[in-house]
Amino acid sequence: MTSILLGILALILAPLAGGLIAGLDRRVTARVQSRFGPPILQPFYDVAKLFGKEPRMGNVWQIFCAYIYLLGAAVSVFLFFAGADLLLLFFVQAIGAVFLVFGALARPSPYSQIGAQRELMQILTYEPLLILVFVGLAKATGSFKVAAIWSHPEPLLLQLPLLYLVLTTALTIKLRKSPFDFSTSHHGHQEIVKGVLTEYSGPYLGLIELAHWYEVVLVLGICALFWSTSLVGLLVLLAVTYAAEIFVDNTMARLTWRWMLGSALLAGLALSFLNLVWLYLA
Amino acid sequence: MENTLLFVLIFLPFAAAGLCWLVPSGAVRRGVVLVTAALLAAASLGLFGRGAFAATPESLLGLPLNGLITLADFALLLVILGIGLKRKNRWITILTLLQLVPLAIFELTLPEHGPIAPALVIDGLSLIMILVISIVGSLICVFALPYMEAHEQHLHLRSSRQGRFFFFLVLFLGAMNGLVAANNILWAYFFWELTTLCSFALIGHDGGEEATANAVRALVMNLFGGVALVCGIIFLYGAAKTLSIQDVVQAGSLGTMAFVAFALIALAGFTKAAQLPFQSWLLGAMVAPTPVSALLHSSTMVKAGVYIVLRFAPAFAGSAFADCLAVAGGFTFCVATGLALGQSNGKRILAYSTIGNLGLIMACAGIGTPAALAAGMLFIVFHAVSKGLLFLCVGAIEQTIGSRDIEDMRGLYDRMPRTAVITVIGIVTMLLPPFGVLMAKWMAIEAAADNLPVVVLIAMGSALGVVVWGRWAGILMSSSRTKKAWPEAQPALLRWPLAVLAGGAVVLSFLLPAVYASLVAPMLKGPIAGSAGSLASGLAAYLIYPLFLVLAAGFLYAVIAARQARAAVDTVYLAGAQAGPPESPAFTGPMDQPVVVSAGNYYLPSIFGEERLTFPLNVIAVALIIIMAGGALI
Repeated sequence: MTSILLGILALILAPLAGGLIAGLDRRVTARVQSRFGPPILQPFYDVAKLFGKEPRMGNVWQIFCAYIYLLGAAVSVFLFFAGADLLLLFFVQAIGAVFLVFGALARPSPYSQIGAQRELMQILTYEPLLILVFVGLAKATGSFKVAAIWSHPEPLLLQLPLLYLVLTTALTIKLRKSPFDFSTSHHGHQEIVKGVLTEYSGPYLGLIELAHWYEVVLVLGICALFWSTSLVGLLVLLAVTYAAEIFVDNTMARLTWRWMLGSALLAGLALSFLNLVWLYLA
Repeated sequence: MENTLLFVLIFLPFAAAGLCWLVPSGAVRRGVVLVTAALLAAASLGLFGRGAFAATPESLLGLPLNGLITLADFALLLVILGIGLKRKNRWITILTLLQLVPLAIFELTLPEHGPIAPALVIDGLSLIMILVISIVGSLICVFALPYMEAHEQHLHLRSSRQGRFFFFLVLFLGAMNGLVAANNILWAYFFWELTTLCSFALIGHDGGEEATANAVRALVMNLFGGVALVCGIIFLYGAAKTLSIQDVVQAGSLGTMAFVAFALIALAGFTKAAQLPFQSWLLGAMVAPTPVSALLHSSTMVKAGVYIVLRFAPAFAGSAFADCLAVAGGFTFCVATGLALGQSNGKRILAYSTIGNLGLIMACAGIGTPAALAAGMLFIVFHAVSKGLLFLCVGAIEQTIGSRDIEDMRGLYDRMPRTAVITVIGIVTMLLPPFGVLMAKWMAIEAAADNLPVVVLIAMGSALGVVVWGRWAGILMSSSRTKKAWPEAQPALLRWPLAVLAGGAVVLSFLLPAVYASLVAPMLKGPIAGSAGSLASGLAAYLIYPLFLVLAAGFLYAVIAARQARAAVDTVYLAGAQAGPPESPAFTGPMDQPVVVSAGNYYLPSIFGEERLTFPLNVIAVALIIIMAGGALI
């Protein structure tokens, strides 16, 4: 019962946390670029404004897909905080990811079509890596359940350093941050405009933004599993990880998806394999 | 009662097939096929209601059954030999003789030549197979009735060849039911070879050079598997001194000779399940009319290959051979799904995906833990429904738009809204939770967690599958129409099997905990019983039902929200260079001329092209099979 309450609590608090993180992200990014930056609460103002706009659409599929994207992201956050099976909640998250692609493919715009193809390439890269990270977590703790992994007595980072590296790479791809921001980007001058988001506007874009906040929370939650023994350690790990994400986001030029597929995926597989071999031999 | 049900399931299709062949009237054929389909489905459900049992029918119409099957076996091999001689095909002749001679010697020297008890055993695995064959297979036969009418009209045949077609189609169902019910391995062998003959006849049904060549290839490869099976049977008898499959599985440790037999049986399974390097026969089988592909891929033929391996899996669980089998299966899953990524031909995508998914079942058989075997069995059920549905969808689409290329299915929702939605349902049930295929895959990954190479291969294959299916479903919805689309007209016998299979794929997934409890869990007793605790809790009703209901509620909300959206309709974004009406997006190009917008999927031929990959992958697959054989000798 507590786990269900915890899940429901997360369902309510996750968008708040996700929005705050997005605000912090923009602020820090601005400072790195010698700008003043928007207020921390700016993402909330932005989304509120989106919901206030006149709804415009291409076709009904598109709207349907936006809702399902939000559904997948929200349910996976619920499952995570309710302590459910990591793989199961990851596949529930995949419902959202796939429907975002469906939504982009539902419009004949070349920008959103290319964005969708690139998003599929991103999924192709991060999905096997994340599955292997979960296998590593299960191997180290004896269970795929978030609840069991969370109560593991030792910080898992020490046992799974390479897998944590793989995880952060996969998460950069999952969150579509530079250098892996092929399928959509926050910069208006990209050659594919906003990729998968090109054809969305107003309240429907607001739904997608909300879903993205859920995803950010899920991603940080998975990172938190690597240092679950003390709150300080956990916060430090998350802060360092996210700071590194922002740093990489601001210093790296965008790579090509071919490079991602050829190098990031293979390197990630190799690192995971190495770390898993240690675990299996231990 | 049990004997009556078995009689209906196994021998009625033979009789019905005979009627289809002999009576040229289309109306009679239609009636026979419909009645047989209904009876098969009802009998399989009746059998399901009775649960597991063993039976030894002594005679059929007064003739001793064991002798009858032996006789039929040799008759069948002689028919195939005749095909080989008539076509002057050396391989068919040699491979048939390689079965005929050892089998004859074996039968003559068999000491206790009498009926072994029991000849037929129905357990959870058999029941799963019988339900799949008799319900999904029957629906495909019904779908074939209007499909073949249209097909023959399209071919402008002077005289109908549908009698021959339905003869083999219906016979196939009987042969499959016989195979999965048989406990006497010689009976199983007879039905096994019968499916080989049926598939040969059906693949080559349309005649012509390509169809004939592909049918012969399928025959040769499956005869090779038949040789392996005969040798496997002989070794198995040498090791275990019994023809009863159940006795072998429950015998415990059997020694090296039995493992040689298992390796040979697995090789036979690999040929029938079109695992690498034997995939080419199944890819070639696409030349046949769509109902044949649907039947071969979903409920019959290839499923026989994984059935026979899963059947023996408890006997070799935990051995070095089993580990090698798991790697070979995982390898096929990963690379076949990769090959599917390189394809734009819808049927070829489905074929590679079938090969891959069967590889996953092989991997489950190799992993051999209760969770893995359960995953393999559930996979058979859910894959059969979804894959059968998708093949029928491609067939229906192809008959309307004249192409099976998925690029031509872009925006299908505008032209065939009903079929497009059903195809999307089929794809989603193959790909996403809470549907059965994904749930089985989830169990397979968790079961494979102790086997590093296998889990890496499955993780990779799983991600490749997301790309393969995701882009296909996505472009079906790619609609530029602004008004509501009207459902297309379709013959009822075409429409209903699609609707029933689509509904079945969804409802059956909801019933997953019940399917598991009634069919799979009872199988996990005996020699492979173990710590199935995590599995049971993972599939527990209290977890699956709420998840299903929450997702369903969200889904319904999304449907209603999308339908009731009062949003102004926009044209697509084209960087301000919009030209032409919103229904056919175009932009202003050079010389102020409108250029129609077009887009295509990534097929990445430089990475996943089959011309590049097939040969090296086949070499690796052969190496893995040799290693597997080596594993059996350890």
